[in-house]
Amino acid sequence: MNINSRIPFFPVLVGLGLVLLIAGWQLMIQPDPIPLSALGPPPIPADNSQSVDENGFPLLDDPKVQLGKYLFYDNRLSGDASISCADCHSDNFGWTDGADLCRGYAGTSHWRNCQTIINSAYFSKFFWDGSSKSLETQAISAASGAVAGNGERDMMEERLRQIPFYVEFFDQVFGTSWPHQEDAWRAIAAFERALIQPVTPFDRFMKGDVLALSSDQKAGLALFTGKAGCISCHGGPLLTDEKFYNIGVPENPAFTDDALRQITFRYEQYAKGVPEEIYRKVKTDLGLYYVSKRMEDMGKFRTPMLRYLAYTAPYMHNGAFYTLEEVVDFYNEGGGPDPIKAGFDFGTKSERIQPLGLTQTERRQLVAFLESTTGDEIKSERPVLPQYGAAIPISEGQR
Amino acid sequence: MKRNALIVLLPVLLFVLNGFSEPIPIARSGPQELSPLEDLGRYLFFDPRLSGDGSLSCASCHNPEYGWTDGQQLSRAYPGSDGFRNTKSTLNISDTKHLYWDGRLPGSDLETQVRDAITETHFMNLDGRLMQERLKQVPEYIQMFEIALSSEPSFGGTLKAIAAFEKTLRTGPSPYDTDNLSDAAKRGQLIFEGKGACSSCHSGATFTDHAPHRTGVPENPSILGMPLRHATYRSFIKAMGVPGYMQAKTDVGYFTVTKSSKDLGAFITPVLKQVADTGPYMHNGMFSTLEEVVSFYDKRGDGLALTEVEKADLVTFLESLSGPLPEVEVPQLPAYQLINNWNEARN
Repeated sequence: MNINSRIPFFPVLVGLGLVLLIAGWQLMIQPDPIPLSALGPPPIPADNSQSVDENGFPLLDDPKVQLGKYLFYDNRLSGDASISCADCHSDNFGWTDGADLCRGYAGTSHWRNCQTIINSAYFSKFFWDGSSKSLETQAISAASGAVAGNGERDMMEERLRQIPFYVEFFDQVFGTSWPHQEDAWRAIAAFERALIQPVTPFDRFMKGDVLALSSDQKAGLALFTGKAGCISCHGGPLLTDEKFYNIGVPENPAFTDDALRQITFRYEQYAKGVPEEIYRKVKTDLGLYYVSKRMEDMGKFRTPMLRYLAYTAPYMHNGAFYTLEEVVDFYNEGGGPDPIKAGFDFGTKSERIQPLGLTQTERRQLVAFLESTTGDEIKSERPVLPQYGAAIPISEGQR
Repeated sequence: MKRNALIVLLPVLLFVLNGFSEPIPIARSGPQELSPLEDLGRYLFFDPRLSGDGSLSCASCHNPEYGWTDGQQLSRAYPGSDGFRNTKSTLNISDTKHLYWDGRLPGSDLETQVRDAITETHFMNLDGRLMQERLKQVPEYIQMFEIALSSEPSFGGTLKAIAAFEKTLRTGPSPYDTDNLSDAAKRGQLIFEGKGACSSCHSGATFTDHAPHRTGVPENPSILGMPLRHATYRSFIKAMGVPGYMQAKTDVGYFTVTKSSKDLGAFITPVLKQVADTGPYMHNGMFSTLEEVVSFYDKRGDGLALTEVEKADLVTFLESLSGPLPEVEVPQLPAYQLINNWNEARN
């Protein structure tokens, strides 16, 4: 008797279907991680071209990049001409401001951690909640937000038009008789696209130089892609999937300790247009929710890139951790409690964040690997800013 | 750890105790009794937290020391910009049917003028939403708004309160009002109404026809000559929708309202009550004294052929349009307070 004939056909089919369903669902929530790789040349948008070398990497001596550098350092691209891009993205602090929460505009405090400019060329989303989709539009938001630059477009543009050096430089780069503010953002974005770091021990290793990583770093890499599961979100050449997760980062105590931060916290709820009931009760940064207005996105933040980390502490959207050791310990414990649950009757914390059971040695190795994605410190010389000059002789103005 | 707990608990304890203490006393202004709304407006008028970077209050340009102007030819403006018109006084503001030199707002809409002043980039450059949240961080303001408007601090409520306060800034009776003119002033009045023809525009009880006129006041060269003023002026006329704003070589004035070329360089006739206290004069502050203003009109066009004595009499008349200034106590501003029970408090 054939034993196979004794197995009932229907339950097998149901069982098989169930297995496939579960597997498929698992695949859906846990897609294959993007494999790690070395950093190639950054994408250059078609509407903001710039010169690149034979390998596609932006050249620093492109006039557009040089103009962008002046503008990046120019405090006149803010409301009261007191603050430039470089004040919160300073090369002294890894192109951040080195604080847990960004300093913000005069008379205000910002509420999130400044992110580095280095390698921002590769991102498809900007800000911790992904609210900008290009470097060009990121610059607009940063220069005009009330707790960031507080600048008004036309006023900033008119200031540029009163600076003969810029009038000439914009004409050379963009072929316009007067500087246009949109071109200022383009130039700044072009400068930022040149601030990349494709050469690190990690990149050399990925290109086949087996000696580029120490044995600890190699062990850390194995943990990163294996036991620690970091790669499930931190994959690809940037070590980020650019998706959004709630991992239970603890609150920054500044919001309970500092009146200015409390003002900004409420202002952000108001300005981002949350419903009144949420404005009244929320005490945690809702992240992606502000952009999507979907409850399931509350408390989710864009996976950060894991490059240039040696210079860009503190870490996380609110600067909660000052060292990579703290970050690794945090993940090892399975993250923190879901901050959304504190204010709402549901949670959004990612299922991916689970206790890892890493030994002390493994945690050290993981940190060692994270240090391998940083190359030399990228420094920049602050340019001498051009002065205002009367564009129209005084005599012409008189009747 | 224990010390940390104490540091956390101490403010909470203080807050709780404070909750049972007397309500925070609110200082009253000087001789004039203000309503709760007007008094709230007085605090807000002097509060620099109503500007983007906390550097300017309404009173920075409407300073009681300078007849509620800033005493400058052209008004100071928000840092990083520079004014291109003379600051108008907030005294007797209800007398005017048009706000601003170019009359772009009706006099009845003082609240919109306050909104402009707080939010425009070259005035105080503050996001109104941030303003609301700043005021909500000051317990005294929460209390004052509750009393005055039965609401929490809000942008709209702020506009109402400041406008209400400004309407209280009335000057007392002048020698002209009380029929107490000196002989020279009486002679000046005759010239004002006769040979000088001043009253053809400066007519009626408030000495204005509330209409735009081109009087040919010389351009202030610093508006085009000083880059930051020029930048500010151009961004303003661009916002006003002035065509060809990059080519403007003069102040377009009332043209911003009508876009009609006959109004290029026209400005609304100013109220003359209290004029002696509000120099420099004209939309661009080109004249420092009333003597200069009178000389300008004397020489203008075919000329008025006023004698030196007549000119002096005219000035004397203008000076007798001033009455006692309102006495306003500059408030002691309440500070931001930490919300100690942050996690429990409703925003």
